[in-house]
Amino acid sequence: MTAERTGPPRWLLVAFAVVAVAALAFAVGRFSTFGVAARAAAPTSDSAEAGFARDMQVHHAQAVDMAMTLYRETDDSDLRALAYDIATAQSAQSGEMYSWLVAWGLPQRGGALMSWMAGDPGHLDHGSTGAPATEEELLRDMGMATDAELTAFEAASGTDADCQFLTLMTRHHEGAIDMVDAILRLGEEPRVLEVAKSMKNVQQFELDAMAAAALRLGC
Amino acid sequence: MTPKRTSGNPATQAEAALTVKQQRERRRAEKLAEYQRQVAKRRRRGLMWWIVGGVATLAIVGVVVASIVFAPEPAPTYEAGGTGAEIEGVETFTNETTHVEGVVDYAQSPPAGGPHNQVWLNCGIYTEPQQNEYAVHSLEHGAVWVTYDADAVSGEELATLKSHLPSSYVVLSPYEGLDSPIVLSAWNAQLKLDTADDERIPEFFEEFWRNQNAPEPNAACTGAIDGPGKQ
Repeated sequence: MTAERTGPPRWLLVAFAVVAVAALAFAVGRFSTFGVAARAAAPTSDSAEAGFARDMQVHHAQAVDMAMTLYRETDDSDLRALAYDIATAQSAQSGEMYSWLVAWGLPQRGGALMSWMAGDPGHLDHGSTGAPATEEELLRDMGMATDAELTAFEAASGTDADCQFLTLMTRHHEGAIDMVDAILRLGEEPRVLEVAKSMKNVQQFELDAMAAAALRLGC
Repeated sequence: MTPKRTSGNPATQAEAALTVKQQRERRRAEKLAEYQRQVAKRRRRGLMWWIVGGVATLAIVGVVVASIVFAPEPAPTYEAGGTGAEIEGVETFTNETTHVEGVVDYAQSPPAGGPHNQVWLNCGIYTEPQQNEYAVHSLEHGAVWVTYDADAVSGEELATLKSHLPSSYVVLSPYEGLDSPIVLSAWNAQLKLDTADDERIPEFFEEFWRNQNAPEPNAACTGAIDGPGKQ
């Protein structure tokens, strides 16, 4: 009785087990990539993260430009240090935001300026006409300096230049903090939120420093 | 076989004979029942194997199918810059990047890269032609140089062209001797166009504006020199 086995032959069982284990391992391997793929696919071209990365680069580029202008022209050592800090810090942040888009496989340009903030209830205060805001209006909302303001600032010198810088950069920082608040409400990508928070903290601190400098210089 | 037991009593004799027969039959019946039990058991075990094996196979096939069917969509791939494959008419080049003084004889007209002055042209809107050697340095920083034939493009057409431009990293200027009314140049890429409402203009900006394949993307397009006729 003992020699008489029932059921399929042993080799078939072994083969079946091997195939079963291999198939399970294959499936488990595929499942394990699901989360990674979903994370990698997260920010799309019309996401708030991509919009923030694009528009904040535009924003930072002007801050760097203004800070570099002041760095060349000012006689005030405190302001020169502040300008150096702003120019280098925001250049570095710009580089990181640039590289997010590269890493996400997204173009640096896409979607209208500030359109990523359209879903943010804290904004869209462009009057009640309902007409889409012009690019100038949007740039002003972002706290950006106009070409005329930049030209006047570059032409100025001494304390006048310092004071113009403080006025322009204060408004610029306030615009940035609005954008940061929007991404903190709309965004999900952890690194984006982390960098946005540190932007807000640093620029809030710099706003205080600039207010103190304006007082000191009698602007 | 044992010799038959005999008895003078016919009744005993019959019983003895019957008992042997019965015993033999009983043994046979028992053997048969045992055999049938074995057969049934073997059949049950065989059936069990089929059920277990079948269910396991189905489950594993199901898991494998699920791992393929429910796989998330792969991330959209975007090959930023340089391929030009998707925009009809874009020419691409391979230019070297060095700093030189003086005038450069460029391989393309307008130039889409190559040796350039150490100073770059500030990005912006210009109403006069600009010097190649400065503008090419701006291309190196990721800017797009939009050039137009001032005789062919003006007024509303020029306004339409401007409406496509980003607020930064763009130089717009007229250019002498263009072989088509509008030419968009980025580092190592160029698109020649007839009209300002061509839908390839925004496509070109999406593909090549601040292109990661420019030699120094994200370097400034401000803070250097303003050319003549800057608005």
